Amino acid sequence: MVDHLLAWLDSRTGYRALVRLALDEELPSGTGWTFTTGSVVTLLVGCQFVTGLGLAMYYVPAPSLAYDSVRFIMQDLTLGWLLRGLHYWGASFLVVAAVMHLLRVFLLGSYKAPREVTWLSGILMLLVILAFALTGYLLPWDQKAYWATTVTINIARSSPLVGEYLSSVMRGGPDLGALTLGRWFSAHVFLLPAALTALIVAHVALMRKHGISGPLKPAPGAGVAFFPWHVVKDTVMMAAVFASLITVAVLVAAPLDEIANPADANYIPRPEWYFLSLFQLLKYFPGPLEPMATMVIPGVVVGFLVLLPFVDRGDGRHPFQSPRRMLTAALAAIGIGVAVLTGLGVADLPAGKDPNDWGLLPIAGHEIATGAGNSCARCHEPGGPAAPLAITRLAKDEEWLLSHMADPVAIAPGVRSDTDPAPAPVMSRFKAQAVVAYLRREHAGNPAPDVDASERLAALTYAETCVVCHRISGEGGTLGPDLTRVGARRNAAGIKAVIEDAPEMYGETAMPRFGDRLTPEQIRALVKYLESRR
Amino acid sequence: MSQPESSVSSHDRRGFLVRIVQATHAAIGATLAFIVGGAVVAPSFGRRETLWLHAGDLTHLAEDIPLPVTLRIARPDGASEVVDRRVVYLVRSGDSVRAFDSTCTHLGCRTKFNAETMQIECPCHGGVYDVAGRVIGGPPPAPLVSMSTRIENGRIMVQV
Repeated sequence: MVDHLLAWLDSRTGYRALVRLALDEELPSGTGWTFTTGSVVTLLVGCQFVTGLGLAMYYVPAPSLAYDSVRFIMQDLTLGWLLRGLHYWGASFLVVAAVMHLLRVFLLGSYKAPREVTWLSGILMLLVILAFALTGYLLPWDQKAYWATTVTINIARSSPLVGEYLSSVMRGGPDLGALTLGRWFSAHVFLLPAALTALIVAHVALMRKHGISGPLKPAPGAGVAFFPWHVVKDTVMMAAVFASLITVAVLVAAPLDEIANPADANYIPRPEWYFLSLFQLLKYFPGPLEPMATMVIPGVVVGFLVLLPFVDRGDGRHPFQSPRRMLTAALAAIGIGVAVLTGLGVADLPAGKDPNDWGLLPIAGHEIATGAGNSCARCHEPGGPAAPLAITRLAKDEEWLLSHMADPVAIAPGVRSDTDPAPAPVMSRFKAQAVVAYLRREHAGNPAPDVDASERLAALTYAETCVVCHRISGEGGTLGPDLTRVGARRNAAGIKAVIEDAPEMYGETAMPRFGDRLTPEQIRALVKYLESRR
Repeated sequence: MSQPESSVSSHDRRGFLVRIVQATHAAIGATLAFIVGGAVVAPSFGRRETLWLHAGDLTHLAEDIPLPVTLRIARPDGASEVVDRRVVYLVRSGDSVRAFDSTCTHLGCRTKFNAETMQIECPCHGGVYDVAGRVIGGPPPAPLVSMSTRIENGRIMVQV
């Protein structure tokens, strides 16, 4: 039955001839496992396309919803965490696989005439893959995305002559925002996939036109049929890589930082690991030398790759023998350079916010927003004028949230009746800031820690007093020292002495005496908490 | 995938490899299809969560006179959130209360209670219901949709 149907289909379409054309290829004898790298790249590109298609169904490319839509995918959508995990880790796998493929082609001298154009299309594909990574990085609209993209655009801006125009086009407007997100999304899901598809078709067609280069020294004997003798090797490699990808995606959740906050100038951005070497390079070329790091050195590396088949025109393909020895050394130097810079970059990574370390401000906010006597639940309840906190989105900016908490009704027009007088502010700005910090942590998917009464008191005291000057776990002022690890510097008695009477300890200092402003319980709670921070 | 003609002597080995290749590709494809397909299809079968909302108090209701009440229903909508408004009639008879959705079952217009005729009337095509929601005239094919209610300490709760 099925055979008949397929025979009919073949008679009308001739598809079997096409399949035969695709599979019937004689490979040089001795073609082995090293020639499976291209198949792995193809598999990973396919994976990214399919998982990206699923993600695009839920993702919203607008600053007010982008983050929440990713959060929705991660938390509410069935298998959504795995879908995004595959796409997120697949990007890293793809970059590695593409570079492995490039190395294989380089080491076996496969780029040599007549395969120069095949090589060039491959270099183009690598650049397209990196562009995919760069544009995809912005889409979740979390802190990391926002600030890393700010750096990327500033780098483009530093390029000579065209920098200002280039960065404006990348931003799509005067500031990084909705216009930027729209064009990066469009590039990521329309332009780049189309470009990559066209390049893959061209790359494979060129590969078939010239045949594969084969091993350095062809083994004696007749060639071997591509299908199934080589396809089985391709398949085994693909299965192994796919199994590793699934394992990583299952074991390590794709990260999602707190929602992008353009007002938070203290965030230290870091790019994804495959751009870390470029980022690190910037540190060694400050000021007017910056174009060296952003343009010249990357330009030289890409130029080296582009010109390779035109420079290397001899017959020898062996990577360690003349005439290719020097080129291999050059590529090794590039590789070592990238590896060392990446290593230095990793060593330089800022501690950042530990999502499980809530510090004190969010704990205070949690207490204010959900503790006894809180006023949020008056409206944020099922059937109330506002959605329950569990399903509200964090779509408004920080200014809005702070104003809303000070006077919840005034900026929700239509809710207050004419006879209802304007209420006194519900919350001080300090408290509101604490609640905003709590909402940001909570919306980043981190459950609130269980804290005792003493830590709650410490949190509330910190949120009304110390937060103005002191930072803990990424939140708070920067006038005074960061207290994230103060317990490692001072013992309980030392901390207590500073809180009670800093002028006595330090002489002239901006920190006033708190011995008579705070209650002994408050000081005890603060000391107990701070001493535990090591 | 079709198998090209084979001229190789080790025919069995070739057939075995072909099967391995096909099975592995099918397994990779099936895994991806399961994950992506699952994420694509799952929300289609999601049910809206039912809520019990406070719609009014027993003391505010007169016997057998429908009271229209607007319920605000905040619910998640994918990555977004929306607030629906639904007007329901609360009708008291003795100590029990029934609730009807005010939407006409004909073409979905909002009905109104007419206190003079003691009837619920639809302004669009002349549908008429009695205070128990039953059709007594016009085109509506079914009575007004009734909703579950319960009373907690004189507070009328309606399930939406």
